[in-house]
Amino acid sequence: MRYIFQRLLTMALTALAATVVIFLISAQVPGDPVVAQLGDLAASDPVIVKNFRERWRLDDPLPVRYWTFLTHLAKGDLGMSISTQRPVMDDVRQYAPATIELATYAFAISLLIGVPLGIAAGVWRDSWIDNLARMISLVGVSAPTFWLAFIALSLFYGGLQIAPGPGRLDVVSIPPESVTGLYTIDAALAGDWATWRDALAHLVLPSGVLAAATMGLITRTTRASMLDTLNQDYVRVARSKGLTEGRIVLRHALPNALLPIVTLAGIAYAILLTGAVMTETIFSWPGLGRYTFRSAVTLDVPAIMGITLIVAVVYLVINFLTDLSYLVLDPRATRR
Amino acid sequence: MRIAKPGPWAVTRRMWVGGAAAVLAAVTLGLHAPAAHAADKKTLVIGMDIGDGRTYDPARQADLSPPLTLGAVYEQLVTLSADDLSDVKPMLAESWTFNQVKGAWVFKLKPGVKFWSGDPLTAEDVKFSLDRLINLKDQPSADAANLQRVEVVDPLTVELYLKVSAPSNLIDLTGTVFSIYSKKMVEAQGGTSAADAKDKDKATAWLNTTSAGSGAYRMVSWERNAQVVLARNPHYHGGAVPFERVVIRHISDGAAQLLAVRRGDIDIAMNLNAEQLESLNGVKDVSILKTTSIDTLLMPMTSSATMNPALAKKQARQAVAAAIDYDGLIKGLVGGYSQRPPSFIPIGAGGVTEASAKAIGFKEDLPKARRLLQEAGLPNGFGFELIYPNTPYFSTTFQLIAQKIQSDVARVGIKIDLKPMDAVNWRTQFNGGKAQSVLAFWTATAPNPYIWASASVQRLAKRMYWEVPADVTDLVEQARAEPDTKKQQAMYLKYQQALIEQANYIMLLQPIYRVAVHKNVTGVELTANIWKLDMKKVRAVP
Repeated sequence: MRYIFQRLLTMALTALAATVVIFLISAQVPGDPVVAQLGDLAASDPVIVKNFRERWRLDDPLPVRYWTFLTHLAKGDLGMSISTQRPVMDDVRQYAPATIELATYAFAISLLIGVPLGIAAGVWRDSWIDNLARMISLVGVSAPTFWLAFIALSLFYGGLQIAPGPGRLDVVSIPPESVTGLYTIDAALAGDWATWRDALAHLVLPSGVLAAATMGLITRTTRASMLDTLNQDYVRVARSKGLTEGRIVLRHALPNALLPIVTLAGIAYAILLTGAVMTETIFSWPGLGRYTFRSAVTLDVPAIMGITLIVAVVYLVINFLTDLSYLVLDPRATRR
Repeated sequence: MRIAKPGPWAVTRRMWVGGAAAVLAAVTLGLHAPAAHAADKKTLVIGMDIGDGRTYDPARQADLSPPLTLGAVYEQLVTLSADDLSDVKPMLAESWTFNQVKGAWVFKLKPGVKFWSGDPLTAEDVKFSLDRLINLKDQPSADAANLQRVEVVDPLTVELYLKVSAPSNLIDLTGTVFSIYSKKMVEAQGGTSAADAKDKDKATAWLNTTSAGSGAYRMVSWERNAQVVLARNPHYHGGAVPFERVVIRHISDGAAQLLAVRRGDIDIAMNLNAEQLESLNGVKDVSILKTTSIDTLLMPMTSSATMNPALAKKQARQAVAAAIDYDGLIKGLVGGYSQRPPSFIPIGAGGVTEASAKAIGFKEDLPKARRLLQEAGLPNGFGFELIYPNTPYFSTTFQLIAQKIQSDVARVGIKIDLKPMDAVNWRTQFNGGKAQSVLAFWTATAPNPYIWASASVQRLAKRMYWEVPADVTDLVEQARAEPDTKKQQAMYLKYQQALIEQANYIMLLQPIYRVAVHKNVTGVELTANIWKLDMKKVRAVP
């Protein structure tokens, strides 16, 4: 329990430290948020500029601005976005579900294909499956996302015409009533199976493209970990006892090979949740990636701070959960 | 020790086959071709990058994409036709006169105009809308700087009092920031036009998703970074429009727009680059429409001797202007899809034509450039810095344009030090007067030549440390107030000649915009004006 408490405290401090760093970096950027947000004519009108600076408290000293951020944060408020002129929390609430849905499907694809493929490649080393796995991980890890996204869209949407186009739903579809913001779940909850199919169909290409890189990583790591484990003495013992290969691989080798895969999977999910900018751009996916990009290029400091905090928390929580899972997967960890 | 190759152990292989089948089933289930939009004649779908839009409140909005929507859902007192950017036409007003004594425009409103709610549009709504524009003191209020107050004479007559009595300013009222909306609807949502509207008005959140106008369509939703949906206005005074719904779909990537318009999933693709448009040659289902914009790309240069002693000399700037291969720039970098205005006012506004551009504009003339350098006492040339954003521009990039200019002027010994930077930093340096020279794009909210002319002798001149002679600033103000169009155009011509002689601003491009239109629809009429497309005229091909 004490371990968990200590970890939670460290997490909170790390997240705050991340916001301090980002705050200081944003303050050092030589651009002026006024010219980023106002048009040329308005930015030359002293009255409009004065109103703008007052409204967004741009003239407050740095420590005061950071203190304001902290006091708002204590109340669960991330402040107002300068670009969208709405609370950052509202923006996050609007954009996060699209990203979470996309990243979760991509994560599922990465695991469902990456882990079995990695196991098979490890077990049947140098066979055709191993070669296939190597090719998939090489392409997945090395091909740029925007290129893969465009090739996927051109081939399956433009050429073969078997996939739907950009966006979360067809133009003629109406989004399901929002409960979680995840269209596939909301549509299923509403029993609207036409919209559910539509939402799922729209997820296939972007989540597949987004999954490519992490799937490559997971396949490689699983293969390496399996090879390592299969060469251990206890596996040799198991084999000499006359156990079937299936039992050796699944009961003896796999659980021990899982540890590095769990660590990687945690990081992979965090990468997917926070790194979907290119995929979101090409597939016109209204998620957090686009929002983050726009906040950064317009020097929208409150939004940048909010997103930083969220990204930090996502990484910290996932790391924490990964560590906790060790306690279950590796009994040795509890003794340490 | 090596593990055996695939052996006869059924469990794992069966699992493998099962797993693969499950993945395949999931993918096949997902990858179904959607119901083609092409068959649906009731919805118009426009593919466009609308990611820049921050609000759809006409009195607050200052971004590039929202006017397309605002132009379809709101009306203004007066308008312009798609192909004529100078002759103002009636819209909500059926007639108007300028009262010289009062310094006010008197508008007679069309009778029988209703908002989409069914309520009649009256002079009270005009006053409310324009007062709110002034008192919100948000960005667009700068466009209404000359509007002093609005007075209701009777339900169908309204007077607009101006600070500077200048009848030519009527053209400003064609911009979507001067949209008229329902006082009743907006007040019900917490809107106010009172002097304290800046702090008290609460209607923007509602206006972001719902319009309160009298246009052919009404706005029913805006999902940020996803789409804007419009529905037919049942009470539109111009008669029912052909489409029940319009969906402006946010597709930020041009390549994705291209695929969608080829398939007929979208009817109009707004943001294709030159290469993508070329790929549509010979595609029988898609045609390409073009229109000259009123946007320009220019290269302002400083007059400040502290920043660059060479550029501070007029002949040195003139030498730069004479060393640029303008035709090569237009043909080589933007496929010929551009015009070039003579000076700060674009072709199409203020009587500026392609002919006048050819007659008085800068021309490539290398011997002249060398002679000018001699006159400036810089026979071996000189060097200066050029800043620009590291982003795409039109169908090319600022980087490529800068490199082209760099190699052009190097022919006469002028060295340009290229300084690409992020867009915010670039704007900060440019606006703050910290740049020796800049690549900058320029546009206006309405094609009133005064908007350009005043900017060039006021805020832009300040940034470039050009101390504008009084006769030039006076000329601009006189042109603004001149009621006779011919005389006014002559004054603007004289002003442009002064600017060209001064050579602080080199005009490079005035892009010709092109959009791809699927054969599903017809009646697409583009305009250089800010709302880009007259949506009420678009109809489905039966």
